[in-house]
Amino acid sequence: MSKLYLCAIALLATLSINGYCEDAPAAEKRFGQGGGRPSEAQIAEWRAKREAREGQAATADAPSPAGSGAHGDMSAMSGMTGMAGMPGMKDEGSLRSGRSGGKPSMKGMPEGAARSGGRPSGMGMRSGGALWLSDTPPMRGDGARGGRSGMAGMDMSGGGWGKPAVKRLWLRAGNDPQRSGFAQEDADAQVETLLVTPDGKPEGEPLPSASDDRKGLSFEMPVQGFYRLYLTSRKLQGDILNVNVAKAEVANFGHGGDVEEAARGLQATRYSESAPLEIVRERKPDERKFFQLKSGEDQVFIVLKKGLPLQGARVRMVSYQGWSKEEVSDEQGRVSFQIVRDYFPPWNEFEKRFKATYLLIAEANAAETGKYQDKPYTSVRYQASLSGNYYPSPTDYLSYAWALGVGMAILLFCGVAVYLYRRRRVKPYQEERFHEGK
Amino acid sequence: MKASSPRLQALRDAVNHVHFNRFRFWFQLAAFVLFVYGGYLAIDLGSRLPFFACGYNQEGRAGVCYLLPLQHQLSLPWARLFSYAGIAVLTGFLIFALWFIFLNKGWCGFICPLGTIQDWLTSLRRRLGIRYSTYSHGQFAQLTKVKYLLLALMILIPLGIGGGLFSHSMSPPFCLICPARMILPMFTGDFSQFTIDFSSSAAMVMTALGISITALFLVGSFVKKRFFCFFCPMSALHYLISKPALLKLKKDGSKCTRCGDCYNVCDMEIKEIADDIKNTNIMTDDCTMCLKCVASCPETGALKATFAGIPIFESTEAGFIKRMGKGVQHGK
Amino acid sequence: MENDAKVIPIQAAPYNLSRQAGEAENMLDHIVDDFPDNPQSMAYFYDLFRRVYCHGDEVKHEGMLVGTTCIQAPEELIYAFGATPMRLCNGSYHYDQKGADFMPAKSCSLVKATLGMLNSETVIPKIGKPDLIVNPTTCDQKKKASVMIEGMGHSVYELEFPNVKESEASRVYWQRSVRQFAARLRELTGKKLTRKNLQAAMAKTSRAQAAFRKLHNFRRKSPSLILGKDAFLVTNAYFFDDIERWTDAVEKLNAELELRDEAGFKAVQSKAPRVLFTGSPPIFPNLKLPLLIEEAGGVVVTDETCSANRMLYDMTAVDEWLVNDMVDSLADKYLKPCTCPIFTRNDDRRRRLLDLVRDFNADGVVYQAFAGCQVYEMEYRSVADEFNKAGIPMLYIETDYSTDDKGQLSTRIEAFLESLKNRKKHRA
Repeated sequence: MSKLYLCAIALLATLSINGYCEDAPAAEKRFGQGGGRPSEAQIAEWRAKREAREGQAATADAPSPAGSGAHGDMSAMSGMTGMAGMPGMKDEGSLRSGRSGGKPSMKGMPEGAARSGGRPSGMGMRSGGALWLSDTPPMRGDGARGGRSGMAGMDMSGGGWGKPAVKRLWLRAGNDPQRSGFAQEDADAQVETLLVTPDGKPEGEPLPSASDDRKGLSFEMPVQGFYRLYLTSRKLQGDILNVNVAKAEVANFGHGGDVEEAARGLQATRYSESAPLEIVRERKPDERKFFQLKSGEDQVFIVLKKGLPLQGARVRMVSYQGWSKEEVSDEQGRVSFQIVRDYFPPWNEFEKRFKATYLLIAEANAAETGKYQDKPYTSVRYQASLSGNYYPSPTDYLSYAWALGVGMAILLFCGVAVYLYRRRRVKPYQEERFHEGK
Repeated sequence: MKASSPRLQALRDAVNHVHFNRFRFWFQLAAFVLFVYGGYLAIDLGSRLPFFACGYNQEGRAGVCYLLPLQHQLSLPWARLFSYAGIAVLTGFLIFALWFIFLNKGWCGFICPLGTIQDWLTSLRRRLGIRYSTYSHGQFAQLTKVKYLLLALMILIPLGIGGGLFSHSMSPPFCLICPARMILPMFTGDFSQFTIDFSSSAAMVMTALGISITALFLVGSFVKKRFFCFFCPMSALHYLISKPALLKLKKDGSKCTRCGDCYNVCDMEIKEIADDIKNTNIMTDDCTMCLKCVASCPETGALKATFAGIPIFESTEAGFIKRMGKGVQHGK
Repeated sequence: MENDAKVIPIQAAPYNLSRQAGEAENMLDHIVDDFPDNPQSMAYFYDLFRRVYCHGDEVKHEGMLVGTTCIQAPEELIYAFGATPMRLCNGSYHYDQKGADFMPAKSCSLVKATLGMLNSETVIPKIGKPDLIVNPTTCDQKKKASVMIEGMGHSVYELEFPNVKESEASRVYWQRSVRQFAARLRELTGKKLTRKNLQAAMAKTSRAQAAFRKLHNFRRKSPSLILGKDAFLVTNAYFFDDIERWTDAVEKLNAELELRDEAGFKAVQSKAPRVLFTGSPPIFPNLKLPLLIEEAGGVVVTDETCSANRMLYDMTAVDEWLVNDMVDSLADKYLKPCTCPIFTRNDDRRRRLLDLVRDFNADGVVYQAFAGCQVYEMEYRSVADEFNKAGIPMLYIETDYSTDDKGQLSTRIEAFLESLKNRKKHRA
């Protein structure tokens, strides 16, 4: 079995001058041993392979020479992708590559096939992936340049003087934050959109129907706090009821403004008891108004069903570059992920505030019976999604060693220079000096 | 002469005879604790403070130095800056000015944590028995202009960033080279600013410059009293709006003997304080309003600090004799 | 017949019968006996002058003796090196005549008297031979005295003093001079200048200055608690008396003045014209002019002379009590507030005079210029203009150490005081 601990790449977002002057071969070696991180070249290669595999997947779900990937080098990749979806791959703690891989419920419906038709074919499990809400429309090209929004994550995108900020979200379908296209409308599915405002009803209010641009869901944010948008779609497929809850959580805080309002907003409940299934990002104890998730950090999410923790839900996290990992929620409904570092541009293109989107998909099946639109069902398949953003670790590219070195060098140099200057150079009329001391 | 009650007179005498340096030490320490650790007590005085309450001290700060938000505001895209955001810049400046007017440059001499650190370095040097350095008259005349240059750059570079001329990695330019950014967070155990940022060439240059200036700051303020204040753009900004300030440093030239005692103790080597007998408002652009000159003036009523026209600390012969008597005995 | 006339050896007359002693005795008697209510604590000073000037008693000192010819020589440094400063400026007419050999006829009595004293065998005050004489380069006559003093067998140190005091260059120059002076003293005494001994020296001086300032402040009271002739005697004693004994005596005097103040004592009539004395310094026994003023019913309430106010008034402030800082601060104190007329400009002197008139509620000014003391003579005009503008009457008197002009001066002073009284009445 290949033991590619790719998650180790996340470990590197720590001390010292990572990402600055490491040469590729050395990195490769370490990577193979579970340490180090992939180099630019490697990532490019992986992506190329992934692309290639997707192309193949359209024709045949051909298993590649599996099992050969015992070595910790690149050749292991093909083996691994080939085994995508196999239960054996779900070993905990490892992060697997592959955009369509690792999803047991795919049932041989390669995403590529769906996409080859031009569009994700509607909502629901069978289609081109999960349904999710994003604050960015699908990309053309690569690289979501994080909006440089003030210092330390300050959101300065006000709606103009005196006007409340307007947030616009897009409903997208797919399992990859970058590749997901707009969600296709499904005539069979019943869709319900609820907006929960910080000061509104806890169960939310229907969002006014989308404007001319049907793909965008806009709402105003007049008060400070977290706005949550739930988009629930229900669809009966045979005797299985599919319930998809796409959720977005938008923080709206400003500088200044009403302090109490902001404090209330920070403390408010952040789940909905009416949501069939939802993922809640657990707040860290020291979180303040302008919180940003950074690569390398651990983040806990809680899966709730109608406001109650759900055990055994399969939760998959997909990083911006498509790396994914699956966990099963514990008895408290909690799953924990380390946010990987998957942003490795050439040095001169590095963006400190690069905004990357992660996607979280939770799934749970329940043997519930009932009737939907007068048709009976015997089990329900729940799916919830949540997307969010993460940023390069602030310690990336920071070097204490260099700072200490430069600082000490200048300190020493200046200290000695001043000392010598004062000792040697006889300032006019200051040649007579007295020794301090007892 | 106004008749004042004997109790008020007794209070005035007590203030005027105070062991000034000791008072100032404790005052500065208290202000330092408040502004460097006040955040832990949930004190937040806003982000328009007219002194170096460094905003990079995320945990402990009890308020933020105005230069940080100012530079951020100025680096907004021009389209926003010159429309509605311009009003935010103006209101921000207004709040800053209101804070400033209250204490004038007294913020520098009594409150500013970076100024306090310099005074501590000075007292360390003094305890080690190392004499201080001074500028020559010519050097002084040249170097005193530096703070205006820094102030201009501090405004122009963010504008350039907003206009897309400079990299965002340079923002906020002055903060990146300000020693307070590195030194003050260290007091709350945050060493994260003590780094060089290799994420872009501009960031690398700015942070390297910052670390160099910090090292220079440490050496400089060890040998030269209030080394950094001489170059502080905040000081320049203060001076430009100091006219309506409530706290004033006043001089009565007719009582001045030009003995130079005030000039002698002045950390900033301001010659005018001793030699200028015409101006009643004696605060210059380099002044930090530490009021050491008032404490060391032997002529009753020659120098005084007034608040909204009311004298609060006045030079007196008795106070001088008391303070210098203590100094000559204890060497403080 | 053989000439067996005996040769009677000429015996030196005892000092107390000399002309010199007579001059001092005469002055002291006037000072003590002409006035009814002398403070009791003044007895110390009367006695001191009687012993030193009339009996020729020795003035004791500790360590080496450093004579100074001007207040510009920093005494704190001399004390710090364990030596004793002794001001050599002399007020004796006897020495003035003796010193005439060295200087042109029309030159300053003070310089001539000092030269005469140093050249004589019986030096009064009897201080012994100075180990070093510090001669700051102030006015021309003092500058030229250096070589003459050296010619008398003394070792002289010329302390370079700038002619301009406003510029930063002269300040730095003077600081250097003072530093070099300290180096010379180190060479002389073989001791080191340390923080401790300099602090101790400065403490001595500042205590004396504090005592002086207190006395100075008592003189603001109107009517006066103490007469100017006593105040001049007190500050004259500072020239040669042990500094700590002197300070004790002044503090005692201050205590007595405090009691006088509380008792509502008047040393003069309420209407006595208050006079500010400025110009060439009165030095015992030449207290001719102050005495004439007070005998005529005026009172000298304060002065601007280098034998009194200017010598003790200005105090040193030090920021850091390190040797380097202390020495520079001392240098500043000796240069920056100085109102000596040798400087190019006299703005500070004029301001100081106006300030004193205002603070001490003086009715008029008496300006003494020793004949031949050119700098004071030359400043007369600008000072007179200043007082004219301010509407303050001033009497300019050119005189010297001789008592010949006493009668004529007395008439002028009486007339001046009378005019002051009239003005006062007119105003009231």
